[in-house]
Amino acid sequence: MKILNKQKLKDLLNSLAADATVYAPVKQDGVIRFQAWNGDQEIDLTDNALLPPKDLLFPQTEVMYKYTANGMRAEITEVAATAEKQVIFGMRPCDVKSLSMMDDVFLTKGYEDDYYKSKRENTVIISLGCNEPAPTCFCSSMGVDMTEAEGADVMMFDLGDKLALEAKTEIGENLLASASGLEDGSADKPAGGQCQLKVEPDGLAEKLAKMFEHPYWEELCRKCLGCGACTYLCPTCHCFDIRRKNIGEKGFQFRCWDSCMFSEYTRMAGGHNPRPSKKERVRNRFLHKLQYFPERYGKVACVGCGRCLAKCPVNMDITRIIKELGEVAINE
Amino acid sequence: MSDPVRKQLEAHPLVPVVGEIIKIVEETPDVKTFHVTTEHGKPFTPMPGQLAMLSLLPVGEAMFSITTQGEDHLEFSIKKTGMLTDALHEAEVGQKVGIRGPYGNGFPVDFCKGKNMLFIGGGIGLAPVRSMIYHCINNRDEYGKMQIIYGARSPQDLVFKEDLFENWPKVSDCEVNVTVDRGDDRWDGHVGFVPQFIEELGPKPENTVAIICGPPIMIKFTLPIMEKLGFTDEQIITTLEMRMKCGIGKCGRCNIGSCYVCLDGPVFSLAQLKNMPNEY
Amino acid sequence: MMDLTQKMRDKARELLEKEEVKYVIGWEKGTFWYQSPPVFISRPEDVDKLVWDQFCINNLSKYLLDFKHLEGKIALFVKGCDSRGINRLLQDQQVQRDAFIVIGVPCPGMKDPEKAKGLSEDKADQLQLAEKCATCTTPNPVIYDELLGDEVAAAQVDDVERFARVNELEQKDPDEKYDFWKRQYDKCIRCFACRNVCPACNCRECVFDQAEPEWLGKRVVSSENQFFALTRAMHVAGRCIECGECERVCPMGIPIMSLNRKIIKDINNLFGSYDAGMNLEDQPPLGKYDVNDPEEFM
Repeated sequence: MKILNKQKLKDLLNSLAADATVYAPVKQDGVIRFQAWNGDQEIDLTDNALLPPKDLLFPQTEVMYKYTANGMRAEITEVAATAEKQVIFGMRPCDVKSLSMMDDVFLTKGYEDDYYKSKRENTVIISLGCNEPAPTCFCSSMGVDMTEAEGADVMMFDLGDKLALEAKTEIGENLLASASGLEDGSADKPAGGQCQLKVEPDGLAEKLAKMFEHPYWEELCRKCLGCGACTYLCPTCHCFDIRRKNIGEKGFQFRCWDSCMFSEYTRMAGGHNPRPSKKERVRNRFLHKLQYFPERYGKVACVGCGRCLAKCPVNMDITRIIKELGEVAINE
Repeated sequence: MSDPVRKQLEAHPLVPVVGEIIKIVEETPDVKTFHVTTEHGKPFTPMPGQLAMLSLLPVGEAMFSITTQGEDHLEFSIKKTGMLTDALHEAEVGQKVGIRGPYGNGFPVDFCKGKNMLFIGGGIGLAPVRSMIYHCINNRDEYGKMQIIYGARSPQDLVFKEDLFENWPKVSDCEVNVTVDRGDDRWDGHVGFVPQFIEELGPKPENTVAIICGPPIMIKFTLPIMEKLGFTDEQIITTLEMRMKCGIGKCGRCNIGSCYVCLDGPVFSLAQLKNMPNEY
Repeated sequence: MMDLTQKMRDKARELLEKEEVKYVIGWEKGTFWYQSPPVFISRPEDVDKLVWDQFCINNLSKYLLDFKHLEGKIALFVKGCDSRGINRLLQDQQVQRDAFIVIGVPCPGMKDPEKAKGLSEDKADQLQLAEKCATCTTPNPVIYDELLGDEVAAAQVDDVERFARVNELEQKDPDEKYDFWKRQYDKCIRCFACRNVCPACNCRECVFDQAEPEWLGKRVVSSENQFFALTRAMHVAGRCIECGECERVCPMGIPIMSLNRKIIKDINNLFGSYDAGMNLEDQPPLGKYDVNDPEEFM
């Protein structure tokens, strides 16, 4: 185990930045988000970042390829280059867990998404355990150990004025061996905090399979504004759109996050929309997380980070919804 | 699949291979069939019922069923419905296009083997069915009697006229029945809607698979008649349309329940559809 | 406020029992003590969910659009700011006045739920007013069929206070202003919460949702984000009712009301003082023509 005096955090990040881009939580204009370390930012390890670091593997906007086209001619001139090495510093165990869902989507079921894959393979993860979960956290109900992030290369603990770092993979070991500011040492792993919110999602998928036509959805959707805040703040939401931008003869194809909450999402060229109203869209969002994803990939697509319920303007609370879905009566 | 194309699509499944339109057939005032190939020849060899993403690079990309294929090309029959299809209808032979695929499950050719084949199409819905019709023609010994029932709004809206009136009637043990909703001065064939036409013709369900594709209103009125004729849900096969962007089960929007139409579809039996949420 | 809660419940029960309305829209307790989100009551036995406390911050008026095609009436509770939203929708001819019943509730100002996070409930009294309520000029509903409780005294908010943030931004030079807004809108994730909550954003189909023509590119980059921000700001110019919901719901903390209030201030200077949604008679300054309008640009 290595110990870092927080005074020397900049040294550590600078040494990591020598051969990789380092992303760390920085508070800027009132928002904590992962930013590329430039040697001179205030790192904020208090609360989890408002935006999960998923955009480092799956950017909100990403150029896929460039082309030229003129009249009959068309040519693909460049396919987006493969990713460069990056280190994500201070990623919380819930967000690390979300990568297993992103991996399922982008790397399995017959096709590997090369844009995601190249970033994923070039990413080293230093996870920060949570001593004190936020009131909106419910990760312990979603199979997250807030002191041990499965899939992290290095596990880190906040000891107050110090950080303890423990390598979990060979990559992590090599990283720590060459990093500055660290001293050998030992420390007791903090116990981790208690989530105030708890849910019981086990067995829910089976019940939901019988609830597609349940009147619950009609009532649930009423207060939803149909905005995409929940989907864009969610570390497991991964739906995207593919569009293009033309500038004269040149152009590029890009993908960008999309939200199942938006009316345009499923609307077809002829005008038909299989999910025409808020009810179908809200239902799809929750069934996707709680039934469809488990059916397809064997796990619930929620890690209990609580961002959606912290930021939803109308308090659509997935923990309440899980409870209500568990309690509501169905006609079998 | 041609080797260079396969390699490129494996490395970058979302990046199309650039190909070219080598022939355009005007089927109806708003449907054209495009023959597409690449410098490496036919980009891939799809199973009947499979899909491909076709693009005009500066305009956009959309999923189309592969109507059929030749030795060196794929065919897409496309109705004018939006920005991309409008632009495609303006295209001329020699136009470069992007193509990637093949996607989806395709028709269950093995399940159909040894059975009588009933094909029911309405309007542009004959396009995906045509791939299976040609599969059966090309493997004529493996399938029983063929019957094609097809209808369109008017005589000028009938697609694949050469197939309907010249090619398919010549196929051994193949009956072709064509109807139009409204005739015109020169039309001496059947007039009436597809569902009623099926009822009049009364195809037999014994050892038969029915492949149905057409506008939702046609499907809606056809299914009760099929049931009346004695077809079970397992014997009825159809193909769905959903909005698609990636085609490889990642982007999320073509889901019906936990199934993705681009990967697990677009072909489903009525029995399967009845077990899925009614959201398509 | 306990007293008003009871009055609300009684009123809702009466309306539902007499079958005068299909739904009553009010507020209920949420996940945490500092949340009172919207609730839709359709059965008399559910009226006890309704609450009136210092966290009923959501403007409910926009929900009327969801019930446009309902057969039967809706009743909803409105604070002062919410009631201006009702006038907004009526003036924009988005809803029919006889399709709903407005029950006014005088509002002492709501507390800031963001500041309450992590506090225990016994600290509720120490909480400040929410920012959107601190400069409120309309605590009492301006349109209603029935008013519950007694009107409260309007705080004396002068224009200096109301436009404090605008005045501060106006001190910046153009480069500093650009830098400020660029940084703010670079945070935008384009969730459209601001638009979706806004009673002035009531178009049947929003230009930002149109795929063809694609007015707003879907890339989340500075230029598109700024185009979105400015288009929306100009679209609600002269029509913004200052409920402050856009800024409250923004997950990224963008000071959207500074933009809206800058435009309000400019419009007031150009066309005379105007407060949107105060009544149905006064037309928005940019929505009418007056021969005396200034025309320095001609």
